[in-house]
Amino acid sequence: MSTTYSQERKIAGWLLSAPLLILLAGLLIWPMYLGFKTSITHDILSEFETYPAGFENYKNLLVEPNFWSSIRFTLIFALVASVIELTLGLGLALLFDRIFPGKRFLFSLMLIPIMIAPSLMAVMFRLILNENIGIIPGLLSKVGLSYSIFDQNNIFTSLIILDVIEFTAFTFLLSYSALQNMSSEIYEAAAIDGANKRQTLLRITLPILKPALAIVFLLRILDSIRTFDSIYILTGGGPGTSTQTVGIYIYKTAFIYGDFGLAAAAAIVLVLLLTPFMPFIIKQFNLGTESSR
Amino acid sequence: MKRNWGVTAAVSVIVFVFLIPLTGAFYTSLRTDAAIASGPFVWEFDSNWTHYKNALGAAGYDFPSFFRNSIIISLGTVLLTILVSFPASYAIVRLGFGGPWLLRLALALRITPAIFFVIPFYKLFTAYGLIDRPLGLILANSFINMTLALLVFAGAIKEMPLEIEEAAAVDGASIWMTLRKIVLPLLGPGLAAVGVLTFLFSWSDYLFAVVLTSSEATPVTVGAANFVTSYGVRWGDISAAVCLSILPPLVFATAAQKYLVKGLSSGAVKG
Repeated sequence: MSTTYSQERKIAGWLLSAPLLILLAGLLIWPMYLGFKTSITHDILSEFETYPAGFENYKNLLVEPNFWSSIRFTLIFALVASVIELTLGLGLALLFDRIFPGKRFLFSLMLIPIMIAPSLMAVMFRLILNENIGIIPGLLSKVGLSYSIFDQNNIFTSLIILDVIEFTAFTFLLSYSALQNMSSEIYEAAAIDGANKRQTLLRITLPILKPALAIVFLLRILDSIRTFDSIYILTGGGPGTSTQTVGIYIYKTAFIYGDFGLAAAAAIVLVLLLTPFMPFIIKQFNLGTESSR
Repeated sequence: MKRNWGVTAAVSVIVFVFLIPLTGAFYTSLRTDAAIASGPFVWEFDSNWTHYKNALGAAGYDFPSFFRNSIIISLGTVLLTILVSFPASYAIVRLGFGGPWLLRLALALRITPAIFFVIPFYKLFTAYGLIDRPLGLILANSFINMTLALLVFAGAIKEMPLEIEEAAAVDGASIWMTLRKIVLPLLGPGLAAVGVLTFLFSWSDYLFAVVLTSSEATPVTVGAANFVTSYGVRWGDISAAVCLSILPPLVFATAAQKYLVKGLSSGAVKG
């Protein structure tokens, strides 16, 4: 009886997972093979012949300054954007963690950026920053300032502001959820012990929130590393290659300059650079899902 | 009790700042072309919704077809993602299929940037005639959203009391019956969360769309971005097109806000 039951479970397990396994075989294993094969092939769009190139693409990549500068830009961008987004999101969550009129309505409004595609946000951003018709330059010129998005000095700030506008809603939402999970007894105990608001925040709230905030920060870093659409639409990676994220570098190498071999090698090197962090990150996530319950 | 209007005022100002791009685009979409051309603060509004009519086909843009493609791709992705992930999550959590490895793989994939898959997908889809077809984007988006769906479903199934399923097994219900009659109805909120997040993320996809489509299957994200470069002076029409593109996910996700919040915070995963 028990053997047939466990057999039934085994068969059911395979059958229920079959669609997933097929999807993984077709869209993970096969493409990974194709990606690796492309990376060791001389595969340039303008040349009709492709031929095996060994590790030539990898060697070329190692001495390709644009690739390394794109990695550097991506990391700086991800770090600056994530720190600002986490700080603002947490601040806003603390502000929302009170009772005030219109709270539910304002909460819904605050979540709107999550629902807007980053590419569409970038299009709107271009609109409001347009030198001739945009509201922002219009307002600034009224107080005697001028602002150009494409100015070398402003471009980084513009991109950070765009990212902050798009993703603070996300850090806010997750920080707010974490705050809601805290028990009110802790606050009551703190109040009884005579802790003031500042002490409660610094000594109790923040330390308890720390693991949850670490995960939010990690998520933002990981998502910022893959930033592509918003920056691509706003600057195309320019001026020059100064705002080229690694995603834009790979995309352009393959689909603008037509060097599929080099781009495939870059994609693989990017994942290899992330691999050492994966076990740590996976552990963090597991920890997070357990502590949130 | 004291009404905290001070907090309301502070929060309102902050929220307004975050919504400047959206309100800016909406404002522009309502103004006449003459007003737009003469500067940002000329108050002259178009009572005929001309820009919206233009965007929806009156001016001969392809926008209606972008819109249709986005709807097909997003709904198709939601359906395929759920069909693939729901039974597999049950197998992983309750039948112990694949040990912890499938979920760890899902997390590892979650960390892998989507750009990693762009070139292989392009090669693969070219070989199988899936380029510039909605099905190609449905497959690509389902693959990317599958990790999120697996994590949310696995979390939801773990939270379900095991006793009900055990009782059903004692009463002689097969695994299929248990899945259909007990697990599926209890999983309603999880399904809603996965549905709304997958819809949102596949609607927002730009990277796969720009690589895997050229004209026939182009969704609104790529369509709107191309609008800017091709009709860079028609800001009124562009704004209307962008506002229209934002509307379906906005309405859908606001209506299902509870599940959006649940999905984002329980999975703590974003595509």
